Amino acid sequence: MPKPRHRTLASPGRRRFLASLGCLALAAGLGLQASRVGASLDPPRLRENMQRLYGPRGLAVLEEWFALLDRLAGAELRTQLRDVNDFFNRRVRWVDDIDNWGHEDFWATPLETMGQGQGDCEDYSIAKYVTLKQLGVPGAQLRMIYVRARIGRSRITQAHMVLGYYETPAAEPLVLDNLVPTITPASQRTDLDPLFSFNSSGLWAGGSTESRADPLARLSRWRNVIDRMQQQGFI
Amino acid sequence: MSLIKQLWLTIVVLLLLAFVGSLFIGVSTSRHYIEQEVRIKNADNANALALSMSQLDKDPVTIELLMAAQFDTGHYRLIELRAPDGEILERRESGEHIGDLPGWFVDLVRFEVPHGQAVVQDGWRQYGTLTLQSHHSFAYRSLWHSARNLAGWFAVAGAISLLMAWWIVRTIRQPLHSVVAQARDIGVRRFTTSKEPRTRELREVVQAMNQLSGAVREMLSQESEKLDLLRRRLQHDPVTGVLDRDAFLAQLRASLESNGHRASGSLAMVRLARLTEVNQRLGRPRTDALLKDLAHSLDQLGKVRGGGLVGRLNGSDFALLLPGSGDLEELGHELSQRLQTLQEEEKSLTLGLPSALIDYAQGDHRNELLASLDGALAGAEAKGDHGQSIAQGAARETLYASHADWRDALHQAMEQGVYLGHYPVLDTQDRLLHHECPARLRLKGEWRPAGVFLPWISRLELDTELDLAVARAAIKDIAQRGKPVGINLSPASIRDSRFVLDLRALLRSHPEAAEKLWLELPESMAIHNLAGFRSLCRELQPLGCRIGLEHVGAEFNHIADLHDLGLAYLKIDDSLVKGVDTSAEQQTILRGMATLCHSLGILAIAEGVDSVAETRVLFELGLDGVTGPGVRQHDKPA
Repeated sequence: MPKPRHRTLASPGRRRFLASLGCLALAAGLGLQASRVGASLDPPRLRENMQRLYGPRGLAVLEEWFALLDRLAGAELRTQLRDVNDFFNRRVRWVDDIDNWGHEDFWATPLETMGQGQGDCEDYSIAKYVTLKQLGVPGAQLRMIYVRARIGRSRITQAHMVLGYYETPAAEPLVLDNLVPTITPASQRTDLDPLFSFNSSGLWAGGSTESRADPLARLSRWRNVIDRMQQQGFI
Repeated sequence: MSLIKQLWLTIVVLLLLAFVGSLFIGVSTSRHYIEQEVRIKNADNANALALSMSQLDKDPVTIELLMAAQFDTGHYRLIELRAPDGEILERRESGEHIGDLPGWFVDLVRFEVPHGQAVVQDGWRQYGTLTLQSHHSFAYRSLWHSARNLAGWFAVAGAISLLMAWWIVRTIRQPLHSVVAQARDIGVRRFTTSKEPRTRELREVVQAMNQLSGAVREMLSQESEKLDLLRRRLQHDPVTGVLDRDAFLAQLRASLESNGHRASGSLAMVRLARLTEVNQRLGRPRTDALLKDLAHSLDQLGKVRGGGLVGRLNGSDFALLLPGSGDLEELGHELSQRLQTLQEEEKSLTLGLPSALIDYAQGDHRNELLASLDGALAGAEAKGDHGQSIAQGAARETLYASHADWRDALHQAMEQGVYLGHYPVLDTQDRLLHHECPARLRLKGEWRPAGVFLPWISRLELDTELDLAVARAAIKDIAQRGKPVGINLSPASIRDSRFVLDLRALLRSHPEAAEKLWLELPESMAIHNLAGFRSLCRELQPLGCRIGLEHVGAEFNHIADLHDLGLAYLKIDDSLVKGVDTSAEQQTILRGMATLCHSLGILAIAEGVDSVAETRVLFELGLDGVTGPGVRQHDKPA
């Protein structure tokens, strides 16, 4: 039997087709959302991005970072803190953003920091923060702290950022810094003067992440870097 | 479901879809935008406040003041500071002020905005967590207003769209209706043509139907032309083209026996004297041309006067029958002028063209009339070449002396009521088609036939009043007897559009009687006032009454012009019917006429049927009905 040339919207075939198309679109949307919520780290994507952006040299650092994660998984917390701190302090050279990225206060993702091999104080903090979170340290215990730092014994002060580890919310934090490579309790860091702290709580509230299309993500630096991390395969 | 309904449904559904869809998208977009804005504000203000607090001494009063200042001067629903252990250090909160918005709307849009959160530092330690929530009840209000504005705008746009849709549907509907009407007409064998609509699909249909109508019309006019040719050969003088003696005398007899308009009038006779001599002097062809000119001149006079018939009684004598009233002196004068013109054109010899005139009225004897006229003509011939004399007709009692008396008497008689005579029209099964009902008026204590008063009716221009009175009487008659009734309309009436409207109103108030009313007009009147007749048909046919023509014969070749009128019946003139049982030519003509009528769905009825033999032959020829002196309904159906 020849197929009818014209089909009206009312014909059952057409209706079924439209319905299934709609379902498919809906499922695709939901599915995408679901997969992003569940994933924490996406090594193939990270490798691919690193390869694309920084070539084999960056890839080597990334592999070392993966090895670090493997080694520290399940290790004692103090070891984790120390080794992560050392890993970035050794591999990343401290430069100003303006030299590194061409403009001031660029917040780099860990991948960019590792690939570049150099970074600003907040790049250290972000990289350490992400790595520790990846190792299972609760996000609420980690805070990035804006501090005023006195360099050496001089009176020159500088805006600086460190990562603080709070065992309890009310406790005194341990400071992970790149100026002083060893981890010390905050009270011993008389050269630092804390101003304000933040972390990603409230941004990842309830474990859900915002869609990449959310314009809010582009407005705040912190949100911006989180968004880029998601794109590159972290979190 | 009708096409128009489907069209409307589609339009309304589309409009609703557009309207509801736009409203939904508009409101949800605004909602999303507002949510985003409030979220940014929550987050930013929480951070800003926490930052300020971090710089200050953590003196409870200072903290409280700072929070109070922020809360009181800003637009916040909640500002709360909790110690790391969860204890509330400070809290400011205010209720929602949604206002008089409808609850369902608030429930429908219900914003879900997360709180802004930031940590206040005290040195290295965390002093507390600040939670902040802005007022967003204003957003419900602005959303409600924008939704209302949108709805209002859509109502206006919807109204305009509906208006445009209505216009579009109308432009489709009108031609559609006319196409359907035309198709229906063709279904009942009324071959109308209609204007081609602009819509392409409909135009093709109309073109096809118009083509069909045109083809039918073409066929009809060819056929009727053929029949007319046959009839002319049978009834007309071959030299001059006017009626021959037999046909003319038959017409005269029919007029004298008639109950209607033509029952009285004038009769004129003109002789071309010394025909033999003329023939010798001019030769045969020129003599024939002269005779033709004379006949033509008389024919013109008859046409100018209206309804005139010319006949050649013998080689040299011509007669003119002029139904209706007329002053003989005036007619004579006009005739003389025409004859004078004829003489002036023929310069080679002096023509003798004597003439005579006479009145006739219903009940006069044809032979007596002709004898008187012949005598008068002899007298006129004696007077000279262009002598004229007016014959004294049979002594007639004049009912009333003056116009005024006639007018009063006629008005009075019409008020008293019209009496309707009843002459049956029967079909092949001897069943009644309708009664032909000529009107009678009571004048001077007697019921007088139409022949007596009709000339005065038309002279005093009372035609429409009489026709309305007759129509009323017919409706009454139908109500009493329940039998169909046929009445005549006068030519003056169909020229009068007010009469048509009055008659329509009358019939509309008696719809069941209208179904049984048959209206007829003389053929010549309908042909000569086609526009008036057309509008009469258009106005009255929808009410169910049947319209037909009587005395059909001489103008049968024009029948093609009437093919789209939806005529119900034709009554064929007695001159074609009389003696049909013995004349093969008449039979041929009548058979053709009947066939042609049937192809248009028209009944063919024979008038003036005298005998059973004629009736039998007529039905064999295919006619549908007979009427006349020889027709009586034998067994009255119960």
